[in-house]
Amino acid sequence: MIEAAPILAIIIPLMGSFLTPLISILTKRYKKERIRDLFVVAIVIVTLLLVLHMLPTVWSGNIIVYRLGNWTPPWGICLAIDGLNILVALIVSGIAALVSIYSLMYMKNDTGLEKYYTLLLLLLASMMGVTLTGDFFNLFVFFEIMSVSAYALVAFRRNWDSIEASIKYMVIGSLGASLVLLGISFTYSLVGSLNIADIAQKISIIGTNPLPPVLILILALLMTGFCIKIAMVPFHAWMPDAYQAAPSAVAALFAAGTTTVGVYVMLRIIYILFGVAALGVMLIVLGSVTMVVGALMALVQRDLKRLLAYSGISQVGYILLGVGFGTALGIEGGLFHLLNNAIYKALLFMCAGAIFYRVGTCNLDELGGLSKNMPITAGLFTIGALAISGVPPFNGFASKWTIYIAGIQAGKAFFTLLAIIVSVLTLAYLLKAINAIFLGQRPKRFENVKEAPMTMIFPMMFLAVLCIVLGVLPSLGIDIVSPAYNALTNQHGYIRAVLGGI
Amino acid sequence: MAGMTLIVKTASRLLSPFVLLFGIYIVLHGHLTPGGGFPGGVIIVAAIVMLLLGYGAEAAKAKFSPLQASVSENIGSLILVATGLLGLFLGFNFMKNAIPLGTTGNLYSAGIIIPLNIGVGIKVAAGLAVILYAMLTAFEEEEK
Amino acid sequence: MNVDYIVAMLMISFGLYCLLIKRNLIKMVIGLEILTFGIHLFLISMGYREGGIAPIVTSTNPASVVATMGVDPLPQALVLTSIVIDVCVTAMLLSLAIYAYKHYKTLDTSELRRLKG
Repeated sequence: MIEAAPILAIIIPLMGSFLTPLISILTKRYKKERIRDLFVVAIVIVTLLLVLHMLPTVWSGNIIVYRLGNWTPPWGICLAIDGLNILVALIVSGIAALVSIYSLMYMKNDTGLEKYYTLLLLLLASMMGVTLTGDFFNLFVFFEIMSVSAYALVAFRRNWDSIEASIKYMVIGSLGASLVLLGISFTYSLVGSLNIADIAQKISIIGTNPLPPVLILILALLMTGFCIKIAMVPFHAWMPDAYQAAPSAVAALFAAGTTTVGVYVMLRIIYILFGVAALGVMLIVLGSVTMVVGALMALVQRDLKRLLAYSGISQVGYILLGVGFGTALGIEGGLFHLLNNAIYKALLFMCAGAIFYRVGTCNLDELGGLSKNMPITAGLFTIGALAISGVPPFNGFASKWTIYIAGIQAGKAFFTLLAIIVSVLTLAYLLKAINAIFLGQRPKRFENVKEAPMTMIFPMMFLAVLCIVLGVLPSLGIDIVSPAYNALTNQHGYIRAVLGGI
Repeated sequence: MAGMTLIVKTASRLLSPFVLLFGIYIVLHGHLTPGGGFPGGVIIVAAIVMLLLGYGAEAAKAKFSPLQASVSENIGSLILVATGLLGLFLGFNFMKNAIPLGTTGNLYSAGIIIPLNIGVGIKVAAGLAVILYAMLTAFEEEEK
Repeated sequence: MNVDYIVAMLMISFGLYCLLIKRNLIKMVIGLEILTFGIHLFLISMGYREGGIAPIVTSTNPASVVATMGVDPLPQALVLTSIVIDVCVTAMLLSLAIYAYKHYKTLDTSELRRLKG
């Protein structure tokens, strides 16, 4: 195994984003702009290969610890990779590879493309940084880089809607980041260290049962800051506008990447940093409110991308509900739903992008009858819609069924019933969308709309195949997710591996 | 944007080289005195901003064009990452201080901190120059 | 009761008030800045030691004196990093405010309410 694989997975996209403007100046002089696009795709695929390279070592039970500059923790920054980290890194780099292949054709009509690719690589590097690090302030710095790249990518098209959406996202997001910084400063003044394993050890000495008021304050500040990032219900105001204004490839990366990373950070803080499993009730209540509000708001939307954004909010509620149940089956169901959410959300956003690329509008009132012109896109969108509603034999059914059984076993029948009702609502609004776009009467001006190009169809087909495979073989999904579950509940193993048996 | 009165022009023309020199001093002595890469870079860009405000955008662009600023920004970041990779190539972990350390208190000491400071100083100066060029010339297309 | 902590909390509350209540876009940016500066002041004053000296090793203060009597230099490094991040976010917000002014000829935030639902 390559010794330096963890740090190279962060540094290679970072160096790529610094080299892209230089390469772009050279290629613009010789008029061969495709070289720059292929360079970006090559770097993203190299990152994915590095993550796949680290998989066998981590899945056999070891925790990879990489010390930057050979300084021993807790005086130096270290990267610590256990089962939970590697699952999120796999999701992020896989979806980023598919999005970069998709945007080879999708961004053909936009100008200023070198800035787009630079920001895309910077977004990938910062997401890998948040996932793989073992130091708290390092996590905050990479989290800020990810947020700033996201603000810039939302405002990429420079029409008025995009700029307004970006201003809204930026103000709310900066407020959240300031709250996280306040939480980190309280943590530092309490324990005097910034390494995640070291903080975990010292907090377990202070004692978490009952929770002293200082720890309640720290937990409240950190959770509020990160809940703003994943758009839970009181703080979701920025999300529909931002997802509507961003280019569809970028919206797919947000829905699958930044949301997954936000949920990962919350799980890491609650389970490993604080070792508190008594937060389950809050997660269940907030999760159910998020699910219901997301589904109800999605029923009345007239624009396809806003509808998909609200449905994304609703799925995050499912993940929190599953994790909040607290039993082994519940946490595994929640993590499996995290994996599935990334897959079918990216698929749905890519289909919406294909429609926008060929037709030019995403308004449900103006579209209609496109199934004759774009049969492959219609089929893939239907697969994604059925998967997200929890219809067998797709992967959404497998993870939702796990969450339902976990809810009944934990004795919370009311929330399980709520989850089933929201699942039916999900099917309702997605069937409405399919009916409005693909079936029905076709307006005259859409006579000559062609099918989406092959470079855009290939990532969508790959994701749809993954949907079907994980649905038919759910044990494969549970095998992928169970190292993450073992890592989440193994606080002592994490501390021992990072601090070296002190 | 147009320039300013004669007093401002003369003062900015006379003071700008000294401000540049002071900024370079702060960047290079980052391991001995307070300061380092980021404050030094901001002072370096202050020298360019004095010219920009005093003489107008065209004169400043003739001295330090936006294309040069954009390229230097990327070169600064590449120096930063390459210094980290140097430790990787010499067999240790990333960003290990593998260059011989001198005696404490000399200018030539403390290993890789000097190249890191230089990389950060160049990147910050060029990055802020690009931002300021973009913001100060934003209304010019309207007036034309 | 340290004076630094009281001033930092006052700055955080003023910044939050300014961010939430004011209607001009530039005043919202200033409110965000004051909020962030309050948090930085809080973080630096966390590392204070009674009767401490600056953590610089000179010929009159060798390393042992600095280790026992100096203030904590780690929060200062954290605040330096955070100031750089704050500069980037402020630059982006002000650029978008320039775009907003070019489009609408006014900076009142009641135009931002147009995106509803």
